[in-house]
Amino acid sequence: MRIAVCLARLPDPETVSVDPITGGVDFSRTLHILNPADACALELALQLRGPGDSIAALTVGPPEADGVLRDALAVGADEVLRLWDEGSASTRPAVTARLLAAALAMDGVPDLVLCGSRSLAGGSGEVPALLAEYLGWPVVTDVLAFDVQAARVQVQRRLARGARSEGDVVLPAVLAVEPGTAALRYAGLPGVMAAKRAAIPVRHLPDLGLSSMDLRFPSATVQAAMPPYPRPREIFIPDSALSPEERAVQILSAGMTHKAGRVIDGTPEEMADAILDFLDENGFMESAA
Amino acid sequence: MTASKDSENFDVIIVGAGPAGSAAALVTARAGLKVLLIERGEYPGAKNVSGAVFYGSAILEKLIPNWWEDAPVERHVTRRDLVLLSPTTSISLDFRSSSAGYVEPPYNGFTILRPKFDRWFAEQAEAAGAFLLCSTVVDDVIREDGQVVGVKVRRDEGEIRGDVVIACDGVNSWLARKAGMQRDLHTHELSLGVKEVIGLDEAAIRERFQLSGDEGMALEYVGAVTGNVHGGAFLYTNKNSLSLGVLGQLSSLVEQKTRPYDLLEGFKSHPAIAPLVRGGTLREYSAHLIPEAGWYMFPQLFSDGMLVAGDAAGFCLATGLYIEGINYAMQSGLAAGQTAVEACKRREYSRYTLSLYMDVLRERHVLTDFRAYRHAPKFVNGERLQNVYPEMAARASESLFRVDGSRKQKLLPLYWRTLRQVGAKPHHVVQDLFQVARAYLW
Repeated sequence: MRIAVCLARLPDPETVSVDPITGGVDFSRTLHILNPADACALELALQLRGPGDSIAALTVGPPEADGVLRDALAVGADEVLRLWDEGSASTRPAVTARLLAAALAMDGVPDLVLCGSRSLAGGSGEVPALLAEYLGWPVVTDVLAFDVQAARVQVQRRLARGARSEGDVVLPAVLAVEPGTAALRYAGLPGVMAAKRAAIPVRHLPDLGLSSMDLRFPSATVQAAMPPYPRPREIFIPDSALSPEERAVQILSAGMTHKAGRVIDGTPEEMADAILDFLDENGFMESAA
Repeated sequence: MTASKDSENFDVIIVGAGPAGSAAALVTARAGLKVLLIERGEYPGAKNVSGAVFYGSAILEKLIPNWWEDAPVERHVTRRDLVLLSPTTSISLDFRSSSAGYVEPPYNGFTILRPKFDRWFAEQAEAAGAFLLCSTVVDDVIREDGQVVGVKVRRDEGEIRGDVVIACDGVNSWLARKAGMQRDLHTHELSLGVKEVIGLDEAAIRERFQLSGDEGMALEYVGAVTGNVHGGAFLYTNKNSLSLGVLGQLSSLVEQKTRPYDLLEGFKSHPAIAPLVRGGTLREYSAHLIPEAGWYMFPQLFSDGMLVAGDAAGFCLATGLYIEGINYAMQSGLAAGQTAVEACKRREYSRYTLSLYMDVLRERHVLTDFRAYRHAPKFVNGERLQNVYPEMAARASESLFRVDGSRKQKLLPLYWRTLRQVGAKPHHVVQDLFQVARAYLW
């Protein structure tokens, strides 16, 4: 199996100081690191690699970004590639995804692409989805764990409030891995020495068969700007029809009522009717009518 | 271990990419040797702390002409103050010069920020052909028949072989200890320095310290600033920040049960310092050990296949008049490098060949300086100089300059009386005068 891992080099947020008054950003002490989520993706790829499998690490960035590729080589990536458009020097998600897609399509498409789910810098999490779009592949975001079985991948996703969902997807696919799922291994000495000496191949736009026109995505246009409007807070008023005792209970519970489910019994037709009635009563059926 | 692949054999392995290590790497790489420079930090300078004023401009000039144009220097030092403090009073010896040696290239000294400077300096060594390996800790040396033939690093398959190993791994020098060249250090030989970098507007710095352009100032303090702890303090001007810190002798910090950061807070709130740092924002906080005993704490500087340089060798000259380490580190690094080059030329790495290091250190005035000032550190850290005399000078000046209608005293009786007030015995004063003379005059 051929696995591709997309890596990003970013400023370490701990070394970026923001002036609390002016909001000015001081990059003079900034160090750069491999995006933590990408490091997880790389580690998962290394764990997945069996005999005959290969791992390619890619990044989009200026020559300084070679560092993250060297890190990948040191821990055992088989090949690396840096992509860059000197002209635009942009790392907007759409541009990054376009360059990655072009490079992946050129070198014989991999079976699985692993990305970090979002970067510490921009944090939009758009790259994996856009990349999948350009490749015409499925994408699974917020991946916590996965298991490759023949041509399918079993995936566990992170949902809000600690919930999880599971599903599977057909290869080839793009998986966006959550940070914190795996700790990148510590490279051995021979690996580090070899990585330091390695020449990092780089491809620019013409090498990828792209022109600068391909990267001209409409930038976001501001249609209107509105101040944040506070949502009115409803003040709870107890039901005056109730007895004082019941009202006191209502006030003490601050109007909170537990969600009560209702279980319907009966024949399938009766149950369907009951559901329809419920939806109708609660105003869910208006548009359908 | 069987000889590994050719690629993992180096002529010289240098441990620690500080000023000593990078200097050694620079000369050995320029001589065409295969050099490995190992640094435990993520980048050279990541772990390094010092004031810092770099007084080695002329030394570096010989290696890299006009180095200051390219290097991340802050200000060139044209003003130096030696300040005696009592809790309420300060007396200073103010030196400022616009003579050519101070205001024209190569200048006398520069204030620097070590993370930036060390990184730059290691880059120069790298550009000369040294192989820099970061984020790698060296655990031990490899020995064969008593000869050091390489190092063991904390990574898988972490053995690297080299003909000469130069330990520049700083004050604690685990490597020199592992190799049996340094003993465990005593607490009275070490000082703990705690330091802050305080961000301040460039214009405010110029105004407060009466500087123009890129001129900088170095202030050094003794006396009440450290309470009963033996030590001192410093304040240096950077481009748009101040580096200030307090040094305290480890043994007396322990004796007095004083926390070093309390000393630093006390220093910053002293009436002589507070107006200088007012309105600044804290940028960095760091701490480091300083080898202060000089001549008396030198390790065995060379052995079969191994040399020791920089702080690892205790090359930090703390005499009260001078607190210099970076320039001696660099000089010793260069000396070690030169020795390694010579040894590689002769293909002999025994202690007899490497003893050349001592001659080069003398030529480069490292050993001679430390020998000349060998009595100073002990005297500087003495009880009376640390606490009694600054107090006395401050009190005497207080009464000297005070006009309250009482009879004016001439100087000798005035100083005599103050001397008795602070509890110094005349025979101590005579003793100390002799000590001063021995330490500094001849």
